[in-house]
Amino acid sequence: MDTYFEQFDRDGALRETEAALPAETRRDLLLGALAGGTALALFASEPASAATKGDVAILNYALVLEYLQSSFYTEAERRKALRTATAKQTARVLGSVERAHVAALEQALGSAAVKRPFFDFRGTTENEDAFIRTGVAFEDLGAAAYKGQAHRIQSKALLQAAISIHSVEARHAAWIRYLAGTTPASSAFDEPKTMAQVNRLVASTGFIVRRPTTRSRRRPRFTG
Amino acid sequence: MRWAGSGTARKGFTVATEHSTASRSGFLRLGFAGAGTLSLGAVLASGAPRAEAASPSPALDVQVLNYALLLEELQVAFYAAALDRGKLRGDLRDFARVVVEHEREHVGLLRGALGAKARKVPRFSFGAAVSNPRRFAATALELEDLGVAAYNGQAANLTRDALIAAARIVSVDARHAAWIRAIENRPPSPQATDPAKTRRKVLAEVDRTGFVR
Repeated sequence: MDTYFEQFDRDGALRETEAALPAETRRDLLLGALAGGTALALFASEPASAATKGDVAILNYALVLEYLQSSFYTEAERRKALRTATAKQTARVLGSVERAHVAALEQALGSAAVKRPFFDFRGTTENEDAFIRTGVAFEDLGAAAYKGQAHRIQSKALLQAAISIHSVEARHAAWIRYLAGTTPASSAFDEPKTMAQVNRLVASTGFIVRRPTTRSRRRPRFTG
Repeated sequence: MRWAGSGTARKGFTVATEHSTASRSGFLRLGFAGAGTLSLGAVLASGAPRAEAASPSPALDVQVLNYALLLEELQVAFYAAALDRGKLRGDLRDFARVVVEHEREHVGLLRGALGAKARKVPRFSFGAAVSNPRRFAATALELEDLGVAAYNGQAANLTRDALIAAARIVSVDARHAAWIRAIENRPPSPQATDPAKTRRKVLAEVDRTGFVR
């Protein structure tokens, strides 16, 4: 069993959908991924009950990514450790949008939605440089993740919703890059990432953790 | 023949791309909506299936990619004209220099995909939008947001390979949009999700700019 699967898939929804995606390895799905959100109205016309299992799995993959992003910015805003106007503005503006993406995906998925994992951002929500670097990485990754899934989505309505989140993730990436003093668009083309690539990157951060416990003697770290 | 409308664009800077200087038939003479000449929508839709209603097919890809080509050529012409005018400084000039090259690459990809099926593009005239830095910034913001909405509006109409290609382009246009928004101290996106606009709506907005001669 993968490290955080039991916490991640607390209601078994992901276990149920993974069979619908033979092209992806079991491990890929278990590791979860980044996600984006979309306007409520976009999803309203097509409830998850009408979506294919593959589409549901993709939306849940997106939902985990959106959970990751929204928890990151929300925690940064609440902890009030960031001092520069740039960092505070980033947390506030991007946080509100990512929370909207989460809400939209949760509504679209209904009871099929995976639960929010536990996060440990390892100090990146309290350190200016680490916060900006992580934000840039999250947004670039989010855009690449949606881009890698768009052509696999069967439902036209869900494709429309995902594609309309995809470009917002790219906007975020460019915006935070500009504020951080780095180039907003480094190439004429953005490349997609597969679920496996995204999941490896997310796993490498160690940001998604098991349910916090005090059984060990160590004090549990903050989890968004 | 010049179009019969009125506006600052007539006195403005004209960009003639290599594709626009060729001899042209009547359908290429575009004008302002309501000015008594053909609108862009009428031009692109002539002999074409209705993109918003059809199922993805190679034939529909050609229509959609030609539509994307028109928007990308418009952007290339706009940034090239603004840089040529030499009024941009600092962030705006840096932005225009990078973005014009990206848009040229987008045009190259689309032309490569379309081959001989690429349609000619009209000439453009931008007036004060390329000579006044404030107008330039506002126009760039509008054109990039519009480009994103245009691509997003076509996603469901494209075949798999065309969708993959378009997705590589649209997020870069979205980056451009957020970049100029950041320069202008605006939020990165107008909404939590980007609107998807129909071809009809996008072309009507392009017509309204008066940039198409």
